[in-house]
Amino acid sequence: MRPILLSGHERSLTQIKFNSDGDLLFSVSKDKIVCAWWSANGERLGTYNGHQGAVWTVDVSPNTILLATGSADNTVRLWNVKTGECVKVWEFSTAVKRVSFSPDGNRLLAVTEKRMGFNGTIAVLDISYGENLSAQAAEPTLTIVCEESKATVAGWSFLSKYIIAGHEDGSVSQYDPKSGDQLENVQIHEFDSQITDIQFAPDRLSFITASKDKSAKLLSSRNLAILKTYISDTPLNTASVTPKKEFVILGGGQAAMDVTTTSARQGKFEARFYHKVFEDECGRVRGHFGPLNTIDVHPAGTAYASGGEDGYVRVHHFDKSYFDFMYEVEREQARK
Amino acid sequence: MSPTGNRADWADDEDFDDPSVLPPQEVITNKDGTKTVISYRYNDDNKKVKVTRRIKTTVVREHVNPQVAERRKWEKFGLEKGHAAGPSFDTTSVGENIIFRPSVNWKANAKEAEKEGGEKGSMKDQLKDKKVKCRICSGEHFTARCPFKDTMAPVEEGTAAAPGVEAEEDAGGLGAGKSSYVPPHMRKGGAGGGEKMGGRFEKDDLATLRVTNVSELAEENELRDLFERFGRVTRVFLARDRETQRAKGFAFISYADRGDAALACEKVDGFGYRHLILRVEFAKRTT
Repeated sequence: MRPILLSGHERSLTQIKFNSDGDLLFSVSKDKIVCAWWSANGERLGTYNGHQGAVWTVDVSPNTILLATGSADNTVRLWNVKTGECVKVWEFSTAVKRVSFSPDGNRLLAVTEKRMGFNGTIAVLDISYGENLSAQAAEPTLTIVCEESKATVAGWSFLSKYIIAGHEDGSVSQYDPKSGDQLENVQIHEFDSQITDIQFAPDRLSFITASKDKSAKLLSSRNLAILKTYISDTPLNTASVTPKKEFVILGGGQAAMDVTTTSARQGKFEARFYHKVFEDECGRVRGHFGPLNTIDVHPAGTAYASGGEDGYVRVHHFDKSYFDFMYEVEREQARK
Repeated sequence: MSPTGNRADWADDEDFDDPSVLPPQEVITNKDGTKTVISYRYNDDNKKVKVTRRIKTTVVREHVNPQVAERRKWEKFGLEKGHAAGPSFDTTSVGENIIFRPSVNWKANAKEAEKEGGEKGSMKDQLKDKKVKCRICSGEHFTARCPFKDTMAPVEEGTAAAPGVEAEEDAGGLGAGKSSYVPPHMRKGGAGGGEKMGGRFEKDDLATLRVTNVSELAEENELRDLFERFGRVTRVFLARDRETQRAKGFAFISYADRGDAALACEKVDGFGYRHLILRVEFAKRTT
């Protein structure tokens, strides 16, 4: 497969996201610019300009009408995907590290940083898709304060039933999105190894977490039970579950500031493919010159994109060998 | 096509006389559905070139979501505002091809590959599979331990004698000079002697053939008979096993003249001798 290199950013990527049809890819980086790309040929559709600080996170509504971004300038911005206009700005007291639309698109959560005496919070905002997109609720409908350990990432479970958040101390908690109560909190990763990413499987019944403790775990959304564990040899920044084929893709690498020794195979800046069920590493894709900060998989499972510390997004459309690959047991199952 | 179609003005006929005008493009539809396009152009040397292209048109029909199709019509915005359709070179490029084949025992394979990559294995490991090779007979022993060291010796002794002769000359040369030591190449006749020595050494080497794949039952005089028909053979050496006295399968043939050796090499190489096909090549220098 020949990757498409997207070089629209001048600084390291922070998050990339396909829309629900997979024809558009949104990327954000520390250089304040939000880019929209056609995933098929890597053509840039446009940029969303207006943020004053590093953009940490991006999400697109399920109907691809609105785009939400969270930035270090303490704002969440809502954009008209088609025109690139900013339709709404919400001010927070600290930087916004993660935004996520609910599966129906009617709510948006924003994870804010713990800083300057403010506790980390998860704010829930109502989103409306009327004629006038800028008519949005002014204040969050719910704010969950994380007093123990700040939330770093969060997302919505199936049917928006729970909000699931990953914390700085390596634990995962489940909140009720109506009352804001914490229903459960489980220490799944090593203590004090930050959870760097949470991504849901297409049905949102399970999700995968990536952590600095060099492992990724597949958890059930319902009761936070650990279903699978994927062990790697490098701190992980991102993990994703592939539809169509039973894989998970992990990305990471030694951050430049943490490098103490050099080896022949420097950095380990590769996307790692593990079999979702057998927890077995099946292959790697190299190409980035820095750690992989973010990975997203095409909703149809035909492609994946990775964004790295090197400022590049690489879009890989899988070729036949990927779809043909099967374990012996899987092959037997397919024959039946 | 069109200029010829609506040419009503007779003044335009001038074009026909102009030899620099290119014939119009021809399009022929073939039976198998392909099209042949014949066009003409001038190349860099200002020569007329006829270009024939066969074009097969394949229609690929793809069904997409109507929303996706609608989105494809969107105008560009932001930094891309006003740019033409299609990827621009400053933001989009295609990387080198990556071969990605998932495999069941990827980890084990990768570990092996890493080991083979070197660096890690010690010198001892690297040399584990290496075999000792004799420079004289290519056997599995050190050259110094070669059983044919003595039998091969005459050739080397001959050359070894030369320095001795030279040393005597040098002794005379030394006395003539006033300083205590004169480097060999500065000595009177020293350079000449050295050259002569090298020349002799080389000449001997250059006229020696190495014959391999010789039958075990071969005899030295048989080989001599075989090679003598191409010129005067000065030496035939057939390597034999010390115990069984059987031939080891290779021999050296020295000629007085290099031309004869070359001829023999050409003729006898591939010659069938006692159920085996001989391989003849010029002997390589042992040093």
